[in-house]
Amino acid sequence: MPHYLSLFGILMAGFAGLVLFSYDKSFQTVVAIATATAYVFWGIVHHYLHKDLHLEIFAEYLAVSVLGLVILFSLILR
Amino acid sequence: MRIIKLLAHLFVPHESNNQKAKILHPSGLLVLAFLAISFQLILNIFPKTFPRVLGYAASISPSEVVRLTNEKRAQNGLLPLTENSVLSSAAIAKGNDMLAKDYWAHFAPDGTSPWNFFVNFGYKYRYAGENLARDFSNASSAVDAWMASSTHKENILNANYKEVGIGVVEGDLAGVDTTIIVQFFGTPQNAAAAIPAAQAKETSTTLPTPKPVTKAAVQKIQPTPTVEPVSSLTPTPAPTQVPMGSLISPFTSTKNLSLAIVGILLLVLSVDLIVVRRKRIARIGGRTLAHIAFFGMILAVILILKAGEVI
Repeated sequence: MPHYLSLFGILMAGFAGLVLFSYDKSFQTVVAIATATAYVFWGIVHHYLHKDLHLEIFAEYLAVSVLGLVILFSLILR
Repeated sequence: MRIIKLLAHLFVPHESNNQKAKILHPSGLLVLAFLAISFQLILNIFPKTFPRVLGYAASISPSEVVRLTNEKRAQNGLLPLTENSVLSSAAIAKGNDMLAKDYWAHFAPDGTSPWNFFVNFGYKYRYAGENLARDFSNASSAVDAWMASSTHKENILNANYKEVGIGVVEGDLAGVDTTIIVQFFGTPQNAAAAIPAAQAKETSTTLPTPKPVTKAAVQKIQPTPTVEPVSSLTPTPAPTQVPMGSLISPFTSTKNLSLAIVGILLLVLSVDLIVVRRKRIARIGGRTLAHIAFFGMILAVILILKAGEVI
């Protein structure tokens, strides 16, 4: 449960940054990258602590964050 | 039957996909990312092949921008700005200059400053300021975006300004039909003496102090080739919005595609969560709940983000 609270904090901070600074595209870009990176790190730490960290899992979190980043960039930079 | 098997393979945990929908595998997710990137490439190439198809359809009334600006000032205990037709003409000229020279900035690539337009139209200012907005669907969202930015808000709520001019122009900017709003603020040199002398202000950076313009100097000034000057004594009619017809908005189409991708993923992840729990499937993989939270955040951002940019 504490793991999910930290994830919730990361995602809320990312959401707030993207919405509150909607007029600053460069800041939004940085926030999007930071949120996606933090998500991958959250996955690594979470699975490491659960002793089930595998390369496939890392690849999955990376792919999820890359897709999220592509979607956000396509809207922020459009 | 084959189609059902294929759909099950793509979207439902199954033996064929190692108990995880194929679309949720790293390869499936990267294919979706590739599709999203390809769509953006098509949107960028499209205007070169089919001009005047992509664009931001907007119907923005300059007087509505003035009304909303004065509404914000009134809410902050400031006097309303008077709409000045000379400033409006200068603002339209600035907008047309951006379209003609294909730039989106306060200063033109050739160094033309916003204040050149004030001077070219014979507006002698004590204070001057400029706000720019593009791709907004209505006046309210543009003014709200300016108010959300501290530097633009500072212009709107500047007690030194007495007059305002709005130029709404539509045209091709970097291959995409665009609606630009130019908001010029000014205080004439002959305004009430109570106003302290100060530097002219620009939205985000400090601009050089405007040089005092004498009457003789104004008469000698020749407008730049792209600017159509009007006599300061002759009020110009209110600028009219050019009808844009049916345009495909690059932002809206991107938003719709993003919603479709994220919507499908959230649905597949939810099905995955239920099926894996019910069947008690043990597998190596990321946390479905975490992915739902991540894409849920992205969905919320997609729904909230609006088209439009201010500088």
